[in-house]
Amino acid sequence: MKIETILTAVIVLSTVWGGLIYFIRKALFYEKKKSVNG
Amino acid sequence: MKQQEFFSSRWALIISVLGIAVGTGNIWRFSRVVAQNGGGSFLIPWVIFLLLWSVPLIIAEFAIGKYARLGPIGAFGKIAGKNFSWMGAFIVMVATGIMFYYSVVTGWCLRYFFSAASGNLMSVDNHLDYWNNFASGNLPLLFHFISVSIVAYIVYRGITNGIEKFSKILVPTLLIILFGLFVRAITLPGASEGIKYFFTPDINIILDYKVWLNALTQNAWDTGAGWGLIMTYAIYMRHKEDISLNASLIAFGNNSISLIAGITIFSTVFALSSVDAMQQISQSGPANTGLTFIYLPKLFGQLSESIFINSIFASAFFLALFFAALTSLISMVELATRTLIDFNVGRRKAIILVSVICFLLGLPSANNMNVLINQDWVWGVGLLVSGAFIAFAILRFGVDRFRTEVINGIGSDVKIGIWYNAIIKYLIPVQVIVLVSWWMISSVSWDPEWWNPFHTENAGTALFQWGLVIIIFIIFNNYMYKKTVENNK
Repeated sequence: MKIETILTAVIVLSTVWGGLIYFIRKALFYEKKKSVNG
Repeated sequence: MKQQEFFSSRWALIISVLGIAVGTGNIWRFSRVVAQNGGGSFLIPWVIFLLLWSVPLIIAEFAIGKYARLGPIGAFGKIAGKNFSWMGAFIVMVATGIMFYYSVVTGWCLRYFFSAASGNLMSVDNHLDYWNNFASGNLPLLFHFISVSIVAYIVYRGITNGIEKFSKILVPTLLIILFGLFVRAITLPGASEGIKYFFTPDINIILDYKVWLNALTQNAWDTGAGWGLIMTYAIYMRHKEDISLNASLIAFGNNSISLIAGITIFSTVFALSSVDAMQQISQSGPANTGLTFIYLPKLFGQLSESIFINSIFASAFFLALFFAALTSLISMVELATRTLIDFNVGRRKAIILVSVICFLLGLPSANNMNVLINQDWVWGVGLLVSGAFIAFAILRFGVDRFRTEVINGIGSDVKIGIWYNAIIKYLIPVQVIVLVSWWMISSVSWDPEWWNPFHTENAGTALFQWGLVIIIFIIFNNYMYKKTVENNK
């Protein structure tokens, strides 16, 4: 597989899927914080 | 008018809004556009416009809906001022214009699901003839009626018992089916060729301005940013609900699903196609149906020797497509219903009215493919104008005030910075001007009679229909403002 193919896959997947995981974790964190604080 | 109903939790809101964003555009349009624009070369600008178009506009829609607690007409009166309710009406018109034919498309997906589940679809010899027979008969009318009826029932039940409850079933089921198909597709022999093409960039293509314009259009299309639909669901956000984090989650979630669908389709087509795989993916066909309703059923038939197994995968695909279309259609019907509710029509009466009008005005598209293509063209491009109107409303309100008081106001978990001002003030308007100009110029080169409003796809027909509704809305602007804003104070 060409290096540019791997590079594009890494950039696109890490941005989009990585971004999604980051925001889900952040939302879970704030939800947990809210439930702890009542 | 006192706010009666709210989404019960953050996750209920996110799942419901994800249902708006994830539609047929993520599944069939995304793959076709990637194929037509050089695979990996398209994905880089597509990611950039996720950040420059989709995220800022989804944040804006959430904030406007939560602040105004009114549908687009009233919300524009409140945010942009009493002279600009007509812009909100234009946004309603664009989403409603799409609703009329989208219900027909939803019906097609349902019909193909039944056909695949019964095993009939896998026994077809000529899928093009099968599609043409179906499209030219009376069945699209029946399935259009069924789609409208299902959605009317869901919207009639209200936000918590209707939209939220059904989204909680439909959206996760859609994701599970898509993930199952994704796993099967990437494990097919030869699937790696499709994945390679999907991610391989071509430096010559990446510099082509058309690829960038298509990447922007695709983002405008498949995230639901600028449609007014998210604005409508945001009316039902709890007061202490966050905006920017939820909006980002939805934008990234939507594009993640597009990637899953894209990899699935590229892997399937490259693994199973005996002729030029690229030609098959990029085939548009009537109303962009080529890939989905003609070539994919053919490929599903080659998945294994067993018609039963092939039918399971084909029916799973069309069920996912139907659920994706249905959840988006629900939001369009809710937008139209909410608009009538703002005019003090009861929900029950409003939904009956919207359903009857949706069925009747969808009939020409169900009956005649050229009408559907025309409406798809006119209101599809109209979405970009809607996006510009949203940016304009925020400019009128004051970008900094909007960011600090509305977006970063009560309930916000994540505060957004001053970068947002620059995107709304400069980047969104520039993107709209460039894109609309490009569409118009391209339209002129496709059709020497570009001014003729009676052609299917040209500048004239779009300008004529937009102009007509804008004139009517400007005439009734004061009436709409009084009814939606002053009477609901």
